[in-house]
Amino acid sequence: MAADSDPETEVFEITDFTTASEWERFVSRVEEVLNDWKLIGSSAGRSSPEKGEYTSGTWEEKSQEINFADFKFSIIHHYLKQESDKSDLKEELEEDAFPLAMQDLLCMNNDFPPRAHCLVRWYGMREFLVISPGANCEAIISESKCNLLLSSVSISLANSGCQVPMFVQIQQKWRRMYAGECQGPGVRTDFEMVHLRKVPSQYNHLSGLLDIFKSKIGCPLTPLPPITIAIRFTYVLQDWQQYSWPQQPPDFDALLGGEVGGVEFGKLPFGACEDPISELHLATTWPHLTEGIVVDNDVYSDLDPLQAPHWSVRVRKADNPQCLLGDFLNEFFKLCCRKESTEEILGRGLTEEEGKENNDLSAALSKLTEPAAVPMSKLSVSSMVHSARKRIRRHRRVDESPLSTDVLNSILLYLFPDAAVEKSSSPASDNSDGRAAPPNTGSRNEHDKDSDYNLFNQLKSAPSDSLTYRLALCVCLVNFYHGGVRALAHLWQEFVLEMRYRWENNYLVYGLASGAPDLRCCLLHQKLQMLNCCIERKRARDETRKASDNGRERERTLSSGGENGRRGPESAAGSGPAREASPGKSWDSWSDSEDEFFECLSDQEEAAAGKEGEAEKGGAGPSRAKPPDGRLHPHSNMTLLHSSTELLYVPITQEPAPMTEDLLEEQSEVLARLGTSAEGAHLRARMQSACLLSDMESFKAANPGCALEDFVRWYSPRDYVEEEVVDETGTALLRGELSARMKIPGNMWAEAWETARSVPARRQKRLFDDTKEAEKVLHYLSVQKPADLTRHLLPCILHAAVLKLKEEESVEDIPSVKKAIQQATSHASKQLRHPSPDHKKLEEVISQLAAVETVIARARSLKAKFGIGKAEAGEDSDDLEKFVSALLEEPEVAVLGAGRGPAGSIIHKLFVSAQRAALLAPLDDDLVRPGGGVEDRKPVGGGLNVPDFPPPAGREILLRTCVPRPAPYSKALPQRLFCVLMREEFRLGGAFSSDTSFF
Amino acid sequence: MEEGILTTLKILIIGESGVGKSSLLLRFTDDTFDPDQTATIGVDFKVKTISVDGNKAKLAIWDTAGQERFRTLTPSYYRGAQGVILVYDVTRRDTFTKLDNWLNELETYCTRNDLVKMLVGNKIDKENHELDRNEGLKFARKHSMLFIEASAKTRDGVQCAFEELVEKIIQTPGLWQSEGHGRVHLTDEDAGGGSCGGYCSLV
Repeated sequence: MAADSDPETEVFEITDFTTASEWERFVSRVEEVLNDWKLIGSSAGRSSPEKGEYTSGTWEEKSQEINFADFKFSIIHHYLKQESDKSDLKEELEEDAFPLAMQDLLCMNNDFPPRAHCLVRWYGMREFLVISPGANCEAIISESKCNLLLSSVSISLANSGCQVPMFVQIQQKWRRMYAGECQGPGVRTDFEMVHLRKVPSQYNHLSGLLDIFKSKIGCPLTPLPPITIAIRFTYVLQDWQQYSWPQQPPDFDALLGGEVGGVEFGKLPFGACEDPISELHLATTWPHLTEGIVVDNDVYSDLDPLQAPHWSVRVRKADNPQCLLGDFLNEFFKLCCRKESTEEILGRGLTEEEGKENNDLSAALSKLTEPAAVPMSKLSVSSMVHSARKRIRRHRRVDESPLSTDVLNSILLYLFPDAAVEKSSSPASDNSDGRAAPPNTGSRNEHDKDSDYNLFNQLKSAPSDSLTYRLALCVCLVNFYHGGVRALAHLWQEFVLEMRYRWENNYLVYGLASGAPDLRCCLLHQKLQMLNCCIERKRARDETRKASDNGRERERTLSSGGENGRRGPESAAGSGPAREASPGKSWDSWSDSEDEFFECLSDQEEAAAGKEGEAEKGGAGPSRAKPPDGRLHPHSNMTLLHSSTELLYVPITQEPAPMTEDLLEEQSEVLARLGTSAEGAHLRARMQSACLLSDMESFKAANPGCALEDFVRWYSPRDYVEEEVVDETGTALLRGELSARMKIPGNMWAEAWETARSVPARRQKRLFDDTKEAEKVLHYLSVQKPADLTRHLLPCILHAAVLKLKEEESVEDIPSVKKAIQQATSHASKQLRHPSPDHKKLEEVISQLAAVETVIARARSLKAKFGIGKAEAGEDSDDLEKFVSALLEEPEVAVLGAGRGPAGSIIHKLFVSAQRAALLAPLDDDLVRPGGGVEDRKPVGGGLNVPDFPPPAGREILLRTCVPRPAPYSKALPQRLFCVLMREEFRLGGAFSSDTSFF
Repeated sequence: MEEGILTTLKILIIGESGVGKSSLLLRFTDDTFDPDQTATIGVDFKVKTISVDGNKAKLAIWDTAGQERFRTLTPSYYRGAQGVILVYDVTRRDTFTKLDNWLNELETYCTRNDLVKMLVGNKIDKENHELDRNEGLKFARKHSMLFIEASAKTRDGVQCAFEELVEKIIQTPGLWQSEGHGRVHLTDEDAGGGSCGGYCSLV
C-alpha cells in the first residue's frame, strides 16, 4: 500500500519498499489492475438500466492473472455493455452520489434475469469484479485466508477510489460463495452470504426471512420503512404424460425382409432417439409485493402459482440427445482415421476363394474356346461371365461375408438400376441409356431444387442423382447398420469389380453425366467419369471397326484371343480385384494395346502421303493423290484458296484427352517445370502441339490440296488478313494473306503444317489412350483403402446431410436453423474446396450439422407437446406457435396472460396430469415426499386431494428496503437480501450498506 | 529466393486469338515487345514476383491460346486461379462482343466464384479504334470487373493492370488464404464462460 507515493513527500525522505510483504504486493497489484482497467473514480451518474436490459444487452468480461506469493488468482471484470456512457454528465453530479452498484441494489427492472452471472441475479449489479482462485488452485476455505483477501479488497478499493464492487470467491467453486464489498464516498456496502444444505424450518417461508432481514438491518427506526418483496417460485415438469417419446427409429431390418427396393438406400435417417426436451421450468413471479399484502408462514400461504401475476417458462434441453443423422455422420467420419487396407480388413478369407472363382471363370472360358458351332457374340460372353460372377457372390456368402447377400444385392441394385433392366431384357439390349437420369426424389419447388442441385459445386461433392452420391449414401448406411468397416470394404470391393466388369464389357457406368470429368466434383466422381469416357471411346472404336471390318474372318479374332490367353495372367497378377475379370475382356478390345488404329496405313499409302506433303511444300498445284477423307461438313461455303469451286471442309477431328484434376495437376506441374525460358516455352508448345498436328492432318485429309492459309481460315480466322485492293482494271478485290505472326519463318504453326501428313482422324495415332487411362482409373480405385474412400465420399455425405436438414427444416420453418444450415454449408464449402481439408475443421462442420438436427428435433418435440399442428386452428394457435418458437430461441419466455392465457392453460394441464400420474400411483417415496415442504402446508390450486402443482423446485425471495444504518441519524442506504430456497440448498445473499462518515 | 513471399497467386489470361495476350504478358514479365510473337499453342506459363503494398507475391501466370479449337483444352487450366485477365482488342469489335462467351467459360470452369476479374482493352496505341473507353467501362461495371486500357507495345497500363489485380486479390479475404474466420453458433446453453457458467437460473 505504500506504493502510492504522496506527492507532498519531502525530497529527503527515502521510501523503502524493500521489505514490502507479499500481502502488500498483492494489494498494490490489485490496484494496478484497477488502474489499468480505468475503474477508478465515481461510477454514479448513469441512468438505471431499462427493463430487461440485463437480458437483451451483452455482458462482457476482462480477466487477468494476479499472484499472491505463488498462489494464482484471476481477477475478472464483468460488465454490461451500454452504448451511451454519459461520462460527460459525471462532472455535474454531487460528489457524494451513491456508487452505481448501490443504486442497482434497489432497481426493480431486472429482477430474476433469465441469463446472467449469479452475482447479477443476487445483487442486481451491472458491473463488478471477482477475484477467484486460478485454475488448478485450491479453494480458499480457511476463515483467516478469506479475511485476508477481503481486507486486501477493502484496502485496494479505498486506496484507488474504485467504486465498482469487488468480490472474493471463497469455499469450493461449486458452492458459488462470494463475499465482497463496495465503497463510495462515506458509504460502504458489505456483501455477505450464507449457504446451507438444508433450509432451516423457521426460515422456510416469507415471514421467517423477513425476520432475518429486519434483524440484520437492525434499524432503530419505528415504524420501519416499508420492505418491498419480489417472489418467484419455480416448478419443474419432467413427466410429459400425454406425449410419448422416443420416436420410433426407422426399422432397418424390416427393409430387408420383403421388398428391398433402392429407395431406402437413398435416404439418410433423421431425428432424435430420445426426447430432446427434458424438462419444462415454470416460473411464477410476484414482482412487487409489500409486507402484509401476502401471508406466507409455516401454516398458511397466499402464494398460489395460478394466481401469480407473471408466468414465464424455460425448457431444459437434453444434453446431446442421441440423434440419428449426427450419429450417422460421426460414425462415418471416424472411418477416415482407419489405416487398414481392404485386404487387411477382409482378411484372407475372401481372397483365398480365388481358386473357386477361377474354376467358375475357366468353365466359362472353356465353353468359349470349345469349337463352338454357334457363333458367339461378345455380349453372350459377357453374360456368361456375369452369371459366373453371380455364382461367386453366392459362394462368398457361405463364408460369412461381412455383407449379407440380400443387403449386397439390394445395394447393387440401387447403385446400378440398369442392371435390373439388363436382367429382364436380353443383355444385348443397348445400354447406351446408362446416362438416363435416375428417378428424381423430393417434391419441392423448382428454384430450391436448382440451388440444392448446385450444392455439389459448393461442396465439391457430386450431383445428388449421380452414382457417386448414391454410393456415398450406401457406404454410410452399410457402415452404420450392416457391419461397419468390414462391410464397407466388402462393398467397395464389389463396386470396383463392377467397374471393371463394365469397362471390359463396354457397359457405360450408370448415373454419371456424360463428357469430360467435371472438375467441380470430387475426385472420385471425376475418376468414374473418366472411366466412362474410356468406355465410350472404346465402344465407339469397336463400332467403327466392326463396321469397317464387316465380318472379317473369325480366325483373326481367334488369334487375338490367343494373345489374350497369353496376357491374361500377367494383368491379373497386377491387382487383386482384377483377378476374375481378365478372361471377360471383350475380344475386340485387345488390339487396344497397339498404339495405332486398327486400320493401319500401308507402306505405299504412307509414301504417297509423303510425296503429297512435298508437293504441297513446293506450293505446286493440287495433287490428286488421294480422295478426300474424314470430312465433317463444309465450312460456311468457303472454298479453298487455290480453287473457287472446291469447298473447304471441316474435318472430323480427334477429341482431346479428358482429364481428371489430379492428372491436370500433374500436367500443369510438368508444363510449369519447363520454366519460363524461351526453350521452355518452345518445348511446352511442342508438347501441346499434338492436338494441333492431329487437326492439321485431319484437315489435310479432308481437303486434298489445301494450304496453311486454308487451315488458318478455319482454325484461327483472325490470322488470315483480308484487304480490299483495287487492281489495274479498277475492280475491287479481296486479297488475303497470313498474319505477320503466321508468316514468321520457322514458327511452330508452319512447322507443324509441314510435318503434318494427310491422315484422317480415325487412322491417326490416338491422342487419348483409353485402355491405359481406364486401367489407371481401375487401379486407382482398387488401391483405395476404406479410409480413403471415406474421405473421397465425405463431401457427398455432407451434401446429403445438408439436403436432409433443409428438407426437414422446411417443414418446421425455424429461422435460426435456416441461418445455421447456411453457415454450416459455407463452412463446409471452405473446407472441402481446400486441397487437403483439415480434419478438425471437418469435425466442426459435422457437429454443426448435428446441432442443427438437434434443434429441429427439439422444435418437433415442443410442438408436439403444445399440440401445435393438431388440426384445430384457432386464434390462439398463432400465438401458441410464436410462443413455442420463442421457447427454442430465447432462454426464458413470458407466458401471456400467465395461468389464464392459452399457453398457460396448456402448461397447467401438463402439470395436473403429471401430478395425477405421480401421486395416484406412487412409485417410490421420493416422489411424494414433500420436497420444499410447501405442499404440506396447503393444497395448491385446489381440486381433489391432488395439488395441481408439485412443490416448487425452488423459491426465490427478494427483500429490499432503504434505511439509515448503522445509526438512526445515518444516511438512508439501500439494503437487500436475496433468498434461495431449494430442496438441497439454502442461500442468503445479503447486501447491507452503512454510512461510514458518522459512526 | 522465396524469402518474404506472402503467397503464390495463379493468374489467367484469356481472350480471343490475336488480341495480344502473350504480348501483354511478355511486356509485364520481361518488359519487351515482340511484334513477331507467335500464336500460342495450348497454354504458356510465366512467373514473376511483384510487391504490392510491401507484400511480395509470386505470380504464376498462365497464358492461353485464343483459338476456338483450343478451348476444349485450355479451360482445364482455369482451375484454382485467383485472378483472371480478360483481354480484347480495341481495334476489333468482334473480340469485344465475344467477351460474354469467355465469361461463361470462366463461370463453368473456374473452381471458385470469388475470383477477381480484370478487363483489359489492348492495342490503344493503334489508331483505328472500334471501341471507346466507355464501352469497356460499361461492360466491366456490369460484370463487376476491374477495367483498364493498355498497350503492350507502348507499355501503357500494363504494369498497372497486373498490380491492380494482385492488390485486389490480396484484399479479398479467403482468396489467397485458406482460412476463414468468425462464425455464429446456434444459441446454446454454454454460451457464457466464467465461474458461473452463464446459465444462472435458479435450478
